[in-house]
Amino acid sequence: MTKSRKSLRSLGFGAWMFPQANGLLHTSPGQRPGIIGHSLELQAESLPHPRLSALKTPRRSGPSFWNLRFGASLEFGVWSLKFPAAASRYALALLVLILALPSLAADPTPSQIQFFESRIRPVLANNCYKCHSLQSEKVKGGLLLDTREGLLKGGENGAVIVPGDPEKSSLIKAIRYTDPDLQMPPKDKKLSDTEIADLVTWVKMGAPDPRVATAAQKAGSDAAKKHWAWQPLTKPSVPEVKDAAWAKTPVDTFILAKLEEKELRPNPPADKPTLIRRATFDLIGLPPTPEEVADFVKDDSADAFAKVVDRLLASPHYGERWGRHWLDVARYSDTKGQVKKQREDANYPFAWTYRDYVIRSFNEDKPYNVFMIEQLAADKLPATARNPTNLAALGFLTLGERFLGMQNDIINDRIDVVTKGFLGLTVTCARCHDHKFDPIPTKDYYSLHGIFASCTEPSVEPVLAKTVSGPDYSDYYKKRMALESEKAAIEAQFRQARRSRNQEALKKLQRQTRENEAAVARLELTHPGAPPRAMILEDILKPHDSPVFIRGEAGNKGAIVPRRFLEVLSGPYRPPFTNGSGRLDLAHAIVSKNDPLPPRVMMNRLWLHHFGEGFVPTPDDFGTMSEPPSHPELLDYLASRFVEEGWSVKKMHRLIMLSSVYQESSANNPRFAQIDPFNRLLWRANIHRLEFEALRDSLLAIGGALDQTLYGRPVDLTKEPYSTRRTIYGFVDRSDVADVLINFDFANPDLPSGRRHETTVPQQALFLMNSPLVVEQAKKLVTLPEFQSREDDPARVQFLYERIYQRLPRPEEIKLGLEFVSQAPSTDKVAAQESSLQTVSNDGKKFKKQQAKQQYRKGGPNQPRQREPLKAWEEYAHALLQANETSFVN
Amino acid sequence: MNSDDKHIQGHSARLEDLFTTRRQFLQRAGMGFGALGLATLLGEEMFGSSARAAEQVATLAPRAPQFPAKAKHVVHIFAQGAPSHVDTWDPKPALAQYNGRAIPGHEGVAMASPFKFAKKGKSGIEVSEVFPKLGELVDDLAVIRSMYTDIPAHEVATVYMNTGSTRLARPSMGSWVLYGLGTENQNMPGYISLRPGGTPPGGSSNWQSSFLPGVYQGVSINTKVPTLNQLIENIHNQYTAFPEQRRQLDLVHKLNELHSQNLQKDAQLEARLQAYEMAFRMQTEATDAFDLNKEPQSMRELYGRTTQGNQMLIARRLIERGVRFVQVWAGGWDHHQDIEDRLPERAKEIDQPLAAFITDLKQRNLFNDTLVIWGGEFGRKPVRDRNGNDNPGRDHNARAFTTILAGGGVRGGMVHGATDEFGAASVENKVHIHDLHATILALLGFDHQKLTYRYNGRDFRLTDVAGQVVKAVIA
Repeated sequence: MTKSRKSLRSLGFGAWMFPQANGLLHTSPGQRPGIIGHSLELQAESLPHPRLSALKTPRRSGPSFWNLRFGASLEFGVWSLKFPAAASRYALALLVLILALPSLAADPTPSQIQFFESRIRPVLANNCYKCHSLQSEKVKGGLLLDTREGLLKGGENGAVIVPGDPEKSSLIKAIRYTDPDLQMPPKDKKLSDTEIADLVTWVKMGAPDPRVATAAQKAGSDAAKKHWAWQPLTKPSVPEVKDAAWAKTPVDTFILAKLEEKELRPNPPADKPTLIRRATFDLIGLPPTPEEVADFVKDDSADAFAKVVDRLLASPHYGERWGRHWLDVARYSDTKGQVKKQREDANYPFAWTYRDYVIRSFNEDKPYNVFMIEQLAADKLPATARNPTNLAALGFLTLGERFLGMQNDIINDRIDVVTKGFLGLTVTCARCHDHKFDPIPTKDYYSLHGIFASCTEPSVEPVLAKTVSGPDYSDYYKKRMALESEKAAIEAQFRQARRSRNQEALKKLQRQTRENEAAVARLELTHPGAPPRAMILEDILKPHDSPVFIRGEAGNKGAIVPRRFLEVLSGPYRPPFTNGSGRLDLAHAIVSKNDPLPPRVMMNRLWLHHFGEGFVPTPDDFGTMSEPPSHPELLDYLASRFVEEGWSVKKMHRLIMLSSVYQESSANNPRFAQIDPFNRLLWRANIHRLEFEALRDSLLAIGGALDQTLYGRPVDLTKEPYSTRRTIYGFVDRSDVADVLINFDFANPDLPSGRRHETTVPQQALFLMNSPLVVEQAKKLVTLPEFQSREDDPARVQFLYERIYQRLPRPEEIKLGLEFVSQAPSTDKVAAQESSLQTVSNDGKKFKKQQAKQQYRKGGPNQPRQREPLKAWEEYAHALLQANETSFVN
Repeated sequence: MNSDDKHIQGHSARLEDLFTTRRQFLQRAGMGFGALGLATLLGEEMFGSSARAAEQVATLAPRAPQFPAKAKHVVHIFAQGAPSHVDTWDPKPALAQYNGRAIPGHEGVAMASPFKFAKKGKSGIEVSEVFPKLGELVDDLAVIRSMYTDIPAHEVATVYMNTGSTRLARPSMGSWVLYGLGTENQNMPGYISLRPGGTPPGGSSNWQSSFLPGVYQGVSINTKVPTLNQLIENIHNQYTAFPEQRRQLDLVHKLNELHSQNLQKDAQLEARLQAYEMAFRMQTEATDAFDLNKEPQSMRELYGRTTQGNQMLIARRLIERGVRFVQVWAGGWDHHQDIEDRLPERAKEIDQPLAAFITDLKQRNLFNDTLVIWGGEFGRKPVRDRNGNDNPGRDHNARAFTTILAGGGVRGGMVHGATDEFGAASVENKVHIHDLHATILALLGFDHQKLTYRYNGRDFRLTDVAGQVVKAVIA
């Protein structure tokens, strides 16, 4: 093992790490995967895995039939009811025993029924149903004893009775109280001897059970199977409406039909400046320039707005905007989260190549089905050989949280992002038990588990560029070589220290190894010459199916299940996956006609970001617990059109945005608000707050400071001098998300997030009030020649309104601005205020004025650092940036 | 359209009422983040759309718990690193007896505690000499000696202690408390986590709100930053003095008022107005709360002029100002080696500050309102750590550790539960982390099973699917 790893490293160093000229150096699947897969397994085993440790120490969570001491300790007084035993019981039991043959399949005989009804059912009902029936507040251990099916099926640990053989029936063992860890009913509520004898007799008989499942019990699971979301996609016909003039597109017709049903009328169209502002923020996450607004307002042609939409869709900034929405779903981060810090560096030096892949894919209008396939199995596609940059797509799977290297948790994260992201299903709920609400059995979870358990990550990521060269690369190469020789030197010393068992030296060398690894990661992450690489996943040599982990415990293995797709989304034919790990098969199953969810889920995401609310309000959960869609026919119409139009996202944007419903004004209508308070029927446009990315980017754009460079390595957004790149290029550290991102409801990079929270906290206000990034934009605005050259003050106010709000100011707004500017204190007054602030800060302590002023300017230990006070116009511009209109789109 | 609207509005008294009510509520709520009270936020009524509505109006406004309770604030001192229980709060004479010899049923050899234990207070609870000052206050403390957790790895167990989850991103305890109770001071964040530089294992996941609205997120403050200004991002304006900033803010409000005439009277816009006002007030109040120069010398001496002394004193200033939940990181307890010298150093760091804190709270009549928690993420083994032969320490142990509760609603001067003869495992009245969480929520007036939040179709709670209140420690 050690030997082969070493030889690989030298091979990797020469061949994989430093491609000089010829082509993509992709892994040859013959060599590494097995070894890497193995080493990962070893690592996982050596860790204190929660599920493994659960076997050693009793766990509290997931109470089960077996975990009696805990599972039952929550209940009180449940076991005290005992069915009074009849005196003649023994005689009857003997009789029944003689009469009955142990047979399960046969219907119970009348005498068996009588025995069950008189002796067994009451005992079960009085002692077991509290925790083991459909009426239980919580079913313990997944065991149901109130139906024949449940009794025979058993609980999470398998069958509890072996009909005909009480000695092999764990239920009998439990009621006998012979095993201290398995005692039922729990808490010293042991059944009476006669009751135990009855149950033993009954199992010996073959456990005859006349109970039939009630309609209600059956209906629950049937209803779940009939849930709208997994019904086949059909294209509904366009409904009839009265106001046909309003309906510009089929989308409108569906919307209008619902409005007319409630006797609501859609709002009139928004004015042109509002509309272009809305469209521009929606599609590229930036405000329109005053010229763009003016051109649009002037353009009287019928397709004026279509031209705007087309221009925006063609903008490379479109991918930055919509790529970011997808990165929320992909729980994008540039770091690994929980890692063994002694063993690995916490950075993903190449996560950004996935981010760029996403931006590019949206810009190219890559068909969404291809987009999904690539993110699951780009390495398996012939097209990838021609275009290796698509390998970066696999970052979707690999750039999640690392859970201290615990493989099953990493696999869980991958199942989560795939199923929530593409399917809008919470499949990971089925990790420990069958999904509580949706028809997703645990077996299906482990069918997917097998796929990802049959994959591995290479220790050296493949390079994306076809060729690498140039002075940057040479410099990088030199530095990387230096680090590699340093590493070799450390390893040599390691061997020596191990031989001499020098603990001190070993520790020091461990630290040096970590430092070396961190330096490598830093170099790869930051050096402009470091060749971009893809965070790929690849199949192991011998893919294998996974067993069901009972209660999610890796050490508690159940039946092995084939690698295949979810039952609920498969057609009648559900073949096992045989193509390597099965990732490509999975991708094909997901995009197949049998699976109606991806187009529905994606159209819902599109609608959500255009209208502030999706048809289904939970974009990552279309299961039975989700709210039914507000417009089910429209959702299906869009989903069908989407597939028909070759999964083109851009075409769907165009269809939606050219509809009247998109162009409505946001004006309120109190009467309608009473009928439809959440505006689910869209009688008006919703106003929404800009996400942090759009807010920060537009502040920079307004100040003329925005660096519009596309793509590339991540930048630090938090330190002065502030980067002026678009926010999507900011470094995201999932283990320490920047305060400013957290304060503005940035998507949690640990979870797929189809929609963000929208909270209002004072830290957001502090950012706009006090951050130098914001204030500097105000200062830049008033130094612009366009501002300075305006003929008078009203014209200057107008310039600021055009630039910041993309509209003309109203007279009262001009008046307000002029008043504010003219009433600004003179420079002397400002100085006086500084001193007054001084006394505030020092709470009455007397400072000499001069000294205080000095300290104030300099920023002493307890004093804010001070900068040049704002001039009146700067302060006014800053106020405009703080006002709601900057942060909201209406 | 506008004139149409006015017309309709004029005849729609009911709707106008609705807005008035909302506005009045916002004013009453102070912070004004929402129109929903606790009754609809919590408990069984929380389904589907009402949960979404709740999210939209996530509020910090103070509210009553589900049932009356004494504790109104929480100060959680996190002894991260896993303090050895058998050297601090859980004396095991049998270890001295077996010192250097194998313990039946255990690998390795017993290690006697290098520290003496003595009975303290009226209750006569035995406390290690490493906590001389806290020992004097033992009659105020509930000593839970039967804690246990699942995974003896620092990062996982630390996040577990704070969130009740070993693997998934879940809201932290403080976020749940803030969600349940809101906070009393609308000029300050309601949940503040104080750390002496660096980040603890697990980073922000220890004070995250996860799927709870971000308003319940803990604000992490690095108490080692050299200046007050760096404590809260953007807390100071570097360009504009207060009177002028006030004038500017008034203009912002006027601009917003003009802007909103065009739109609708939206709760979110109102909330923003309040957020700006709170931000403005925070600029003075928040920095004031952290400014220890405002404490008299005697108080500084009482707490000690040390990192932990400062943190505990800040904690008291925050509690005093109505902050709901304060977490104080006081770690460094991972003593695999050299426990004899290094454990007392750690103990000394917190002994005086925490004792001073309790004494001070009592003098200010805050002790009965404030739940004080001290403890780590797991305990340590009764045997010698194989890594420290000359200066031995102890290895990780998830099966036993001690947590201390004091203050609001806690029965002082008591020991709850017990470990086995050697302190290897909790055996009597065992208390799991979920049980501790359930108990903390109970002390604050919540049924932990009913403090839930719906996310992705499921009602989540701090205690997952477990948790049993330790009634014995509740007075």
